Amino acid sequence: MKKVKQVAAVLNPPAPHMVGNGFRVHNFFPSGYKINMSPFFMLDYNAKIEFAARQQPRGVGVHPHRGFETVTIAYHGAVAHHDSAGNSGVIYPGDVQWMTAASGILHKEYHEEEFSKKGGLFQMVQLWVNLPAKHKMSAPKYQGIKQSDLQKFALPNDMGSIEVIAGNYKDNAGSVSTFSPIEMYNARLKRGAETDFDFPAYFNTGFIVIEGSIVVNGKENAATDQMVYFANDGELIELTALENSIILVLSGAPINEPIASYGPFLMNKPEEIQQAIADYNEGKFGYLAD
Amino acid sequence: MLDKFANYLKERLAITDEQAMQAVSCLNIKKYKKGQKVLNAGDLRSDAFFVNSGLLRCFSIDEKGKEHIIQFAPENWMLTERDSSVFNMPSAFYIDAIEDTEVVVIKKDFFPGIKNIVPEILELNILMLHNSIRFMQKRINMLLSASAEERYLNFINLYPNLTLRVPQWMIASYLGITPESLSRVRKDLANKHFR
Repeated sequence: MKKVKQVAAVLNPPAPHMVGNGFRVHNFFPSGYKINMSPFFMLDYNAKIEFAARQQPRGVGVHPHRGFETVTIAYHGAVAHHDSAGNSGVIYPGDVQWMTAASGILHKEYHEEEFSKKGGLFQMVQLWVNLPAKHKMSAPKYQGIKQSDLQKFALPNDMGSIEVIAGNYKDNAGSVSTFSPIEMYNARLKRGAETDFDFPAYFNTGFIVIEGSIVVNGKENAATDQMVYFANDGELIELTALENSIILVLSGAPINEPIASYGPFLMNKPEEIQQAIADYNEGKFGYLAD
Repeated sequence: MLDKFANYLKERLAITDEQAMQAVSCLNIKKYKKGQKVLNAGDLRSDAFFVNSGLLRCFSIDEKGKEHIIQFAPENWMLTERDSSVFNMPSAFYIDAIEDTEVVVIKKDFFPGIKNIVPEILELNILMLHNSIRFMQKRINMLLSASAEERYLNFINLYPNLTLRVPQWMIASYLGITPESLSRVRKDLANKHFR
Protein backbone atom coordinates (compact mmCIF):
# COMPACT_ATOMS: atom_id res chain seq x y z
CA MET A 1 0.00 0.00 0.00
CA LYS A 2 1.57 3.26 -1.11
CA LYS A 3 1.87 6.16 1.29
CA VAL A 4 1.92 9.93 0.92
CA LYS A 5 5.34 11.52 0.39
CA GLN A 6 5.27 14.21 3.07
CA VAL A 7 6.57 17.73 2.65
CA ALA A 8 9.74 18.06 4.76
CA ALA A 9 10.10 21.82 4.25
CA VAL A 10 8.95 24.75 2.16
CA LEU A 11 12.09 26.77 1.50
CA ASN A 12 12.41 30.45 0.69
CA PRO A 13 14.90 31.42 -2.01
CA PRO A 14 18.30 32.18 -0.39
CA ALA A 15 19.94 35.59 -1.01
CA PRO A 16 20.92 35.90 -4.69
CA HIS A 17 24.41 36.22 -6.15
CA MET A 18 25.69 36.90 -9.65
CA VAL A 19 27.13 34.19 -11.89
CA GLY A 20 29.24 36.13 -14.37
CA ASN A 21 27.27 39.29 -15.12
CA GLY A 22 24.32 37.53 -16.75
CA PHE A 23 22.68 35.35 -14.12
CA ARG A 24 21.30 36.52 -10.80
CA VAL A 25 20.72 33.27 -8.99
CA HIS A 26 19.33 31.93 -5.74
CA ASN A 27 21.25 28.77 -4.89
CA PHE A 28 18.80 26.39 -3.20
CA PHE A 29 21.52 23.74 -2.77
CA PRO A 30 24.22 22.79 -1.94
CA SER A 31 25.17 26.19 -0.42
CA GLY A 32 21.70 27.64 0.25
CA TYR A 33 20.24 24.68 2.12
CA LYS A 34 21.98 21.50 3.27
CA ILE A 35 19.42 19.13 1.77
CA ASN A 36 20.06 15.80 0.12
CA MET A 37 18.82 16.10 -3.47
CA SER A 38 21.25 13.60 -5.02
CA PRO A 39 21.50 12.91 -7.99
CA PHE A 40 20.91 16.66 -8.30
CA PHE A 41 24.06 18.29 -6.91
CA MET A 42 23.33 21.97 -7.44
CA LEU A 43 20.35 24.15 -8.26
CA ASP A 44 20.73 27.80 -9.26
CA TYR A 45 17.41 29.56 -9.72
CA ASN A 46 17.39 32.86 -11.57
CA ALA A 47 14.07 34.25 -10.33
CA LYS A 48 12.20 36.55 -12.69
CA ILE A 49 14.18 39.73 -13.21
CA GLU A 50 14.18 42.54 -15.76
CA PHE A 51 17.48 43.02 -17.59
CA ALA A 52 18.09 46.39 -19.26
CA ALA A 53 18.93 46.43 -22.96
CA ARG A 54 22.63 45.98 -23.67
CA GLN A 55 24.71 45.79 -26.86
CA GLN A 56 27.33 43.47 -25.36
CA PRO A 57 25.47 40.39 -24.11
CA ARG A 58 25.79 39.55 -20.41
CA GLY A 59 26.81 36.06 -19.42
CA VAL A 60 29.56 33.73 -18.27
CA GLY A 61 32.80 33.35 -20.24
CA VAL A 62 34.64 30.15 -21.13
CA HIS A 63 34.88 27.70 -18.22
CA PRO A 64 35.36 23.94 -17.86
CA HIS A 65 33.22 21.16 -16.36
CA ARG A 66 33.96 17.51 -15.61
CA GLY A 67 32.10 14.68 -13.89
CA PHE A 68 28.46 15.74 -14.23
CA GLU A 69 25.75 17.19 -16.47
CA THR A 70 24.44 20.75 -16.62
CA VAL A 71 20.75 21.19 -17.33
CA THR A 72 19.43 24.62 -18.26
CA ILE A 73 15.69 25.29 -18.43
CA ALA A 74 14.45 28.63 -19.71
CA TYR A 75 11.21 30.33 -18.63
CA HIS A 76 11.82 33.92 -19.79
CA GLY A 77 14.58 35.38 -21.94
CA ALA A 78 17.03 33.50 -24.16
CA VAL A 79 20.51 32.06 -23.60
CA ALA A 80 23.09 31.25 -26.27
CA HIS A 81 25.52 28.43 -25.64
CA HIS A 82 28.79 27.29 -27.25
CA ASP A 83 31.04 24.43 -26.21
CA SER A 84 34.43 22.96 -27.10
CA ALA A 85 32.79 19.85 -28.60
CA GLY A 86 31.44 22.13 -31.32
CA ASN A 87 27.86 22.28 -30.07
CA SER A 88 25.95 25.51 -29.94
CA GLY A 89 22.36 26.57 -29.63
CA VAL A 90 19.89 29.02 -28.18
CA ILE A 91 17.59 28.12 -25.31
CA TYR A 92 14.27 29.95 -25.56
CA PRO A 93 11.42 29.93 -23.02
CA GLY A 94 10.22 26.36 -22.49
CA ASP A 95 13.34 24.81 -24.04
CA VAL A 96 15.77 22.55 -22.21
CA GLN A 97 19.47 22.09 -22.72
CA TRP A 98 21.00 18.95 -21.25
CA MET A 99 24.79 19.03 -21.53
CA THR A 100 26.77 16.01 -20.42
CA ALA A 101 30.20 17.37 -19.51
CA ALA A 102 31.40 13.92 -18.35
CA SER A 103 35.16 13.62 -19.17
CA GLY A 104 35.46 17.32 -19.82
CA ILE A 105 34.15 20.22 -21.81
CA LEU A 106 34.64 23.98 -22.07
CA HIS A 107 31.58 26.12 -22.55
CA LYS A 108 30.27 29.66 -22.36
CA GLU A 109 26.75 30.94 -21.81
CA TYR A 110 25.52 34.38 -22.78
CA HIS A 111 22.20 36.14 -23.18
CA GLU A 112 21.16 35.63 -26.80
CA GLU A 113 22.11 38.70 -28.86
CA GLU A 114 18.64 39.89 -29.88
CA PHE A 115 17.32 39.41 -26.35
CA SER A 116 20.29 41.32 -24.96
CA LYS A 117 19.74 44.25 -27.33
CA LYS A 118 16.06 44.51 -26.41
CA GLY A 119 16.36 43.57 -22.74
CA GLY A 120 13.42 42.18 -20.83
CA LEU A 121 12.24 39.54 -18.41
CA PHE A 122 14.68 36.75 -17.63
CA GLN A 123 14.03 33.57 -15.66
CA MET A 124 16.03 30.34 -15.75
CA VAL A 125 16.99 27.25 -13.79
CA GLN A 126 20.39 25.62 -13.99
CA LEU A 127 20.91 22.23 -12.41
CA TRP A 128 24.02 20.14 -12.01
CA VAL A 129 23.16 16.47 -12.26
CA ASN A 130 25.79 14.13 -10.82
CA LEU A 131 27.01 11.16 -12.86
CA PRO A 132 27.63 7.68 -11.44
CA ALA A 133 31.39 7.04 -11.06
CA LYS A 134 31.45 4.63 -14.00
CA HIS A 135 30.12 7.34 -16.35
CA LYS A 136 32.11 10.34 -15.10
CA MET A 137 34.80 9.94 -17.78
CA SER A 138 32.48 9.03 -20.64
CA ALA A 139 32.38 11.20 -23.78
CA PRO A 140 30.68 14.60 -23.61
CA LYS A 141 27.19 14.80 -25.08
CA TYR A 142 24.65 17.50 -25.87
CA GLN A 143 20.87 17.26 -25.96
CA GLY A 144 18.94 20.40 -26.88
CA ILE A 145 15.17 20.02 -26.78
CA LYS A 146 12.69 22.59 -28.02
CA GLN A 147 9.52 23.01 -25.97
CA SER A 148 7.45 21.95 -28.99
CA ASP A 149 9.33 18.63 -29.09
CA LEU A 150 8.83 17.79 -25.40
CA GLN A 151 6.53 14.87 -24.70
CA LYS A 152 3.37 16.19 -23.02
CA PHE A 153 0.66 14.68 -20.89
CA ALA A 154 -2.55 16.71 -21.21
CA LEU A 155 -4.56 17.07 -18.00
CA PRO A 156 -8.29 16.28 -18.32
CA ASN A 157 -10.68 19.17 -19.07
CA ASP A 158 -7.94 21.30 -20.60
CA MET A 159 -6.50 22.09 -17.15
CA GLY A 160 -2.91 22.19 -18.35
CA SER A 161 -0.12 19.78 -19.17
CA ILE A 162 2.87 17.98 -17.77
CA GLU A 163 5.93 18.39 -20.02
CA VAL A 164 8.15 15.37 -19.53
CA ILE A 165 11.81 16.41 -19.78
CA ALA A 166 13.23 13.17 -18.34
CA GLY A 167 11.79 9.98 -16.88
CA ASN A 168 8.24 8.84 -17.48
CA TYR A 169 4.96 10.44 -16.46
CA LYS A 170 1.84 8.27 -16.86
CA ASP A 171 3.35 6.37 -19.82
CA ASN A 172 4.80 9.46 -21.47
CA ALA A 173 8.56 8.97 -21.76
CA GLY A 174 10.81 11.99 -21.41
CA SER A 175 12.83 13.37 -24.27
CA VAL A 176 16.34 13.12 -22.82
CA SER A 177 18.36 10.06 -21.91
CA THR A 178 19.93 10.00 -18.44
CA PHE A 179 22.68 7.95 -16.77
CA SER A 180 20.67 7.24 -13.59
CA PRO A 181 16.92 7.19 -12.84
CA ILE A 182 15.68 10.79 -13.01
CA GLU A 183 12.21 12.30 -13.29
CA MET A 184 12.05 15.92 -14.43
CA TYR A 185 8.90 17.71 -15.58
CA ASN A 186 7.50 21.17 -16.10
CA ALA A 187 3.94 21.07 -14.77
CA ARG A 188 2.00 23.89 -16.46
CA LEU A 189 -1.26 24.08 -14.54
CA LYS A 190 -4.37 26.18 -14.83
CA ARG A 191 -6.02 27.57 -11.73
CA GLY A 192 -7.79 24.77 -9.89
CA ALA A 193 -5.92 21.99 -11.74
CA GLU A 194 -5.24 18.86 -9.71
CA THR A 195 -2.57 16.35 -10.51
CA ASP A 196 -0.55 13.66 -8.79
CA PHE A 197 2.88 12.07 -8.85
CA ASP A 198 4.20 8.68 -7.82
CA PHE A 199 7.94 8.41 -7.11
CA PRO A 200 9.72 5.66 -5.13
CA ALA A 201 10.11 6.64 -1.47
CA TYR A 202 13.92 6.62 -1.68
CA PHE A 203 13.97 9.10 -4.60
CA ASN A 204 15.02 12.59 -3.51
CA THR A 205 12.29 14.98 -4.58
CA GLY A 206 11.68 18.73 -4.82
CA PHE A 207 9.40 21.20 -6.58
CA ILE A 208 10.36 24.72 -7.60
CA VAL A 209 7.39 27.08 -7.90
CA ILE A 210 8.38 29.01 -11.03
CA GLU A 211 5.05 30.79 -11.35
CA GLY A 212 1.82 30.91 -9.35
CA SER A 213 1.02 29.15 -6.07
CA ILE A 214 0.11 25.62 -5.08
CA VAL A 215 -1.16 23.34 -2.34
CA VAL A 216 0.73 20.08 -1.85
CA ASN A 217 -0.92 16.99 -0.35
CA GLY A 218 -3.95 19.11 0.49
CA LYS A 219 -2.24 21.01 3.29
CA GLU A 220 1.12 22.63 2.49
CA ASN A 221 1.09 25.94 0.60
CA ALA A 222 3.95 27.16 -1.54
CA ALA A 223 4.23 30.41 -3.49
CA THR A 224 6.30 31.70 -6.42
CA ASP A 225 10.08 31.23 -6.02
CA GLN A 226 9.75 28.77 -3.12
CA MET A 227 11.06 25.21 -3.14
CA VAL A 228 9.06 22.31 -1.73
CA TYR A 229 11.41 19.64 -0.35
CA PHE A 230 9.99 16.18 0.31
CA ALA A 231 10.77 13.52 2.91
CA ASN A 232 11.73 9.97 1.87
CA ASP A 233 8.73 8.42 3.62
CA GLY A 234 6.26 7.68 0.86
CA GLU A 235 5.51 7.66 -2.86
CA LEU A 236 2.42 9.74 -3.61
CA ILE A 237 2.16 13.50 -4.03
CA GLU A 238 -0.98 15.48 -4.75
CA LEU A 239 -0.70 18.91 -6.29
CA THR A 240 -3.38 21.58 -6.66
CA ALA A 241 -2.80 24.90 -8.43
CA LEU A 242 -4.32 27.92 -6.63
CA GLU A 243 -3.74 30.05 -9.72
CA ASN A 244 -2.16 29.52 -13.14
CA SER A 245 1.16 27.95 -12.16
CA ILE A 246 4.38 26.46 -13.50
CA ILE A 247 6.11 23.91 -11.29
CA LEU A 248 9.50 22.34 -11.98
CA VAL A 249 9.27 18.78 -10.64
CA LEU A 250 12.55 17.02 -9.76
CA SER A 251 12.92 13.48 -8.45
CA GLY A 252 15.74 10.98 -8.73
CA ALA A 253 17.49 7.95 -7.32
CA PRO A 254 20.36 9.10 -5.09
CA ILE A 255 23.88 8.29 -6.26
CA ASN A 256 25.42 6.91 -3.08
CA GLU A 257 29.08 7.42 -3.93
CA PRO A 258 31.74 9.64 -2.35
CA ILE A 259 31.86 13.23 -3.57
CA ALA A 260 34.90 15.42 -4.16
CA SER A 261 33.97 18.79 -5.62
CA TYR A 262 36.00 21.84 -6.51
CA GLY A 263 34.64 24.77 -8.50
CA PRO A 264 33.48 23.40 -11.85
CA PHE A 265 34.50 19.77 -11.20
CA LEU A 266 32.48 17.05 -9.47
CA MET A 267 34.33 13.79 -8.91
CA ASN A 268 34.60 11.00 -6.32
CA LYS A 269 38.16 11.44 -4.99
CA PRO A 270 40.43 14.44 -4.27
CA GLU A 271 43.10 12.98 -6.64
CA GLU A 272 40.54 13.11 -9.45
CA ILE A 273 40.01 16.82 -8.74
CA GLN A 274 43.78 17.46 -8.92
CA GLN A 275 43.84 15.54 -12.20
CA ALA A 276 40.92 17.58 -13.55
CA ILE A 277 42.73 20.85 -12.72
CA ALA A 278 45.95 19.61 -14.36
CA ASP A 279 44.09 18.34 -17.44
CA TYR A 280 42.25 21.64 -17.79
CA ASN A 281 45.48 23.64 -17.48
CA GLU A 282 47.22 21.46 -20.06
CA GLY A 283 44.48 21.89 -22.66
CA LYS A 284 43.04 18.39 -22.40
CA PHE A 285 39.49 19.81 -22.34
CA GLY A 286 40.06 21.29 -25.80
CA TYR A 287 39.85 24.95 -26.74
CA LEU A 288 37.07 27.47 -27.01
CA ALA A 289 37.64 31.12 -27.92
CA ASP A 290 36.26 33.77 -25.57
CA MET B 1 41.11 32.04 12.84
CA LEU B 2 44.76 31.77 13.79
CA ASP B 3 45.12 27.96 13.50
CA LYS B 4 46.31 28.05 9.91
CA PHE B 5 49.17 30.40 10.64
CA ALA B 6 50.03 28.39 13.78
CA ASN B 7 50.17 25.27 11.56
CA TYR B 8 52.29 27.14 9.04
CA LEU B 9 54.84 27.85 11.79
CA LYS B 10 54.61 24.32 13.19
CA GLU B 11 55.38 22.80 9.79
CA ARG B 12 58.56 24.86 9.65
CA LEU B 13 59.74 24.80 13.27
CA ALA B 14 60.21 22.09 15.89
CA ILE B 15 57.65 23.56 18.30
CA THR B 16 54.66 22.26 20.26
CA ASP B 17 51.00 23.11 19.54
CA GLU B 18 51.03 25.22 22.68
CA GLN B 19 54.07 27.26 21.63
CA ALA B 20 52.60 27.79 18.19
CA MET B 21 49.26 29.01 19.55
CA GLN B 22 51.02 31.23 22.10
CA ALA B 23 53.19 32.74 19.36
CA VAL B 24 50.23 33.68 17.16
CA SER B 25 47.89 34.76 19.95
CA CYS B 26 48.94 38.42 19.64
CA LEU B 27 47.95 38.61 15.95
CA ASN B 28 44.77 39.98 14.43
CA ILE B 29 42.53 38.72 11.66
CA LYS B 30 41.17 41.01 9.00
CA LYS B 31 38.58 40.35 6.30
CA TYR B 32 38.44 41.96 2.87
CA LYS B 33 35.61 41.82 0.35
CA LYS B 34 36.24 40.81 -3.25
CA GLY B 35 37.69 43.84 -5.06
CA GLN B 36 38.57 45.71 -1.85
CA LYS B 37 41.95 47.49 -1.65
CA VAL B 38 44.26 46.21 1.07
CA LEU B 39 47.10 48.65 0.36
CA ASN B 40 47.36 51.62 -1.99
CA ALA B 41 50.56 52.75 -3.67
CA GLY B 42 51.88 55.60 -1.50
CA ASP B 43 50.48 54.16 1.74
CA LEU B 44 52.65 53.75 4.80
CA ARG B 45 51.68 50.55 6.52
CA SER B 46 53.91 48.25 8.51
CA ASP B 47 51.97 45.04 7.94
CA ALA B 48 52.64 41.78 6.13
CA PHE B 49 49.81 39.37 5.37
CA PHE B 50 49.30 35.65 5.74
CA VAL B 51 46.32 34.49 3.68
CA ASN B 52 43.93 32.21 5.60
CA SER B 53 41.40 31.98 2.80
CA GLY B 54 40.75 33.78 -0.46
CA LEU B 55 43.25 35.41 -2.79
CA LEU B 56 45.31 38.62 -2.80
CA ARG B 57 47.31 40.16 -5.60
CA CYS B 58 50.14 42.68 -5.48
CA PHE B 59 50.43 44.94 -8.54
CA SER B 60 51.61 48.21 -10.00
CA ILE B 61 49.82 50.58 -12.37
CA ASP B 62 51.87 52.21 -15.12
CA GLU B 63 51.49 55.68 -16.66
CA LYS B 64 49.04 54.34 -19.23
CA GLY B 65 46.87 52.88 -16.51
CA LYS B 66 47.91 49.29 -17.27
CA GLU B 67 48.18 46.90 -14.32
CA HIS B 68 51.20 44.64 -13.84
CA ILE B 69 50.78 41.80 -11.38
CA ILE B 70 53.86 41.11 -9.26
CA GLN B 71 52.49 38.28 -7.14
CA PHE B 72 49.37 36.29 -6.35
CA ALA B 73 48.90 35.13 -2.76
CA PRO B 74 46.32 32.32 -2.32
CA GLU B 75 45.70 30.35 0.90
CA ASN B 76 48.81 29.68 3.00
CA TRP B 77 50.90 32.29 1.18
CA MET B 78 52.59 35.33 2.75
CA LEU B 79 52.46 38.70 1.01
CA THR B 80 54.71 41.60 1.99
CA GLU B 81 55.15 45.00 0.35
CA ARG B 82 58.61 45.85 1.65
CA ASP B 83 58.90 49.58 0.99
CA SER B 84 56.09 50.29 3.42
CA SER B 85 56.37 47.35 5.80
CA VAL B 86 60.15 47.33 6.27
CA PHE B 87 61.62 50.63 5.11
CA ASN B 88 58.94 53.08 6.26
CA MET B 89 58.63 54.38 2.73
CA PRO B 90 55.45 54.94 0.73
CA SER B 91 54.32 51.65 -0.81
CA ALA B 92 55.42 51.08 -4.41
CA PHE B 93 52.63 48.63 -5.07
CA TYR B 94 48.93 48.08 -4.64
CA ILE B 95 47.41 45.05 -2.94
CA ASP B 96 43.78 44.07 -3.40
CA ALA B 97 41.52 41.08 -2.79
CA ILE B 98 40.53 39.07 -5.88
CA GLU B 99 38.11 36.99 -3.79
CA ASP B 100 36.57 37.51 -0.36
CA THR B 101 39.72 37.09 1.70
CA GLU B 102 40.68 36.55 5.33
CA VAL B 103 44.24 37.44 6.36
CA VAL B 104 46.36 37.29 9.47
CA VAL B 105 47.95 40.74 9.85
CA ILE B 106 51.61 40.40 10.78
CA LYS B 107 53.10 43.50 12.34
CA LYS B 108 56.73 44.43 11.74
CA ASP B 109 57.67 43.59 15.34
CA PHE B 110 56.01 40.16 15.32
CA PHE B 111 59.10 38.05 14.65
CA PRO B 112 61.44 39.80 17.16
CA GLY B 113 58.54 39.96 19.63
CA ILE B 114 58.05 36.22 19.94
CA LYS B 115 61.69 35.16 20.06
CA ASN B 116 61.34 34.47 23.77
CA ILE B 117 58.57 31.94 23.10
CA VAL B 118 60.09 30.54 19.89
CA PRO B 119 63.83 31.29 19.69
CA GLU B 120 64.13 29.69 16.22
CA ILE B 121 61.68 32.20 14.75
CA LEU B 122 64.41 34.64 13.64
CA GLU B 123 66.17 31.91 11.70
CA LEU B 124 62.86 30.97 10.09
CA ASN B 125 62.27 34.59 9.15
CA ILE B 126 65.68 34.69 7.42
CA LEU B 127 64.97 31.40 5.64
CA MET B 128 61.61 32.74 4.46
CA LEU B 129 63.34 35.86 3.15
CA HIS B 130 65.86 33.75 1.23
CA ASN B 131 63.02 31.69 -0.16
CA SER B 132 61.28 34.81 -1.30
CA ILE B 133 64.46 36.11 -2.98
CA ARG B 134 64.98 32.74 -4.67
CA PHE B 135 61.40 32.88 -5.95
CA MET B 136 61.93 36.41 -7.30
CA GLN B 137 65.24 35.44 -8.99
CA LYS B 138 63.52 32.61 -10.81
CA ARG B 139 60.70 34.93 -11.76
CA ILE B 140 63.13 37.54 -13.17
CA ASN B 141 64.86 34.81 -15.17
CA MET B 142 61.51 33.62 -16.54
CA LEU B 143 60.55 37.14 -17.62
CA LEU B 144 63.92 37.69 -19.31
CA SER B 145 64.47 34.38 -21.01
CA ALA B 146 61.44 32.09 -21.22
CA SER B 147 58.89 31.71 -24.01
CA ALA B 148 55.22 32.46 -23.34
CA GLU B 149 54.51 28.72 -23.19
CA GLU B 150 57.32 28.07 -20.69
CA ARG B 151 56.04 30.92 -18.50
CA TYR B 152 52.51 29.50 -18.59
CA LEU B 153 53.67 25.93 -17.80
CA ASN B 154 55.70 27.27 -14.89
CA PHE B 155 52.65 29.22 -13.68
CA ILE B 156 50.26 26.23 -13.69
CA ASN B 157 52.86 24.25 -11.81
CA LEU B 158 53.21 26.96 -9.14
CA TYR B 159 49.54 27.97 -8.90
CA PRO B 160 47.53 24.98 -10.25
CA ASN B 161 44.03 26.20 -9.42
CA LEU B 162 44.43 29.91 -10.16
CA THR B 163 43.46 29.33 -13.79
CA LEU B 164 39.99 28.61 -12.40
CA ARG B 165 39.97 31.59 -10.03
CA VAL B 166 41.32 34.59 -11.90
CA PRO B 167 40.49 36.05 -15.32
CA GLN B 168 42.83 35.35 -18.24
CA TRP B 169 44.03 38.95 -18.43
CA MET B 170 45.41 38.75 -14.88
CA ILE B 171 47.37 35.61 -15.71
CA ALA B 172 48.69 37.32 -18.85
CA SER B 173 49.63 40.37 -16.77
CA TYR B 174 51.52 38.19 -14.26
CA LEU B 175 53.33 36.40 -17.11
CA GLY B 176 54.23 39.66 -18.88
CA ILE B 177 52.50 38.60 -22.10
CA THR B 178 49.39 39.85 -23.89
CA PRO B 179 46.03 38.13 -23.31
CA GLU B 180 46.16 37.19 -27.03
CA SER B 181 49.50 35.37 -26.54
CA LEU B 182 48.11 33.53 -23.53
CA SER B 183 45.09 32.50 -25.56
CA ARG B 184 47.43 31.27 -28.33
CA VAL B 185 49.51 29.28 -25.83
CA ARG B 186 46.40 27.62 -24.45
CA LYS B 187 45.13 26.88 -27.95
CA ASP B 188 48.50 25.32 -28.92
CA LEU B 189 48.47 23.17 -25.78
CA ALA B 190 44.93 22.04 -26.53
CA ASN B 191 45.95 21.10 -30.08
CA LYS B 192 48.84 19.08 -28.68
CA HIS B 193 46.94 17.39 -25.85
CA PHE B 194 43.27 17.24 -26.76
CA ARG B 195 42.24 13.56 -27.28
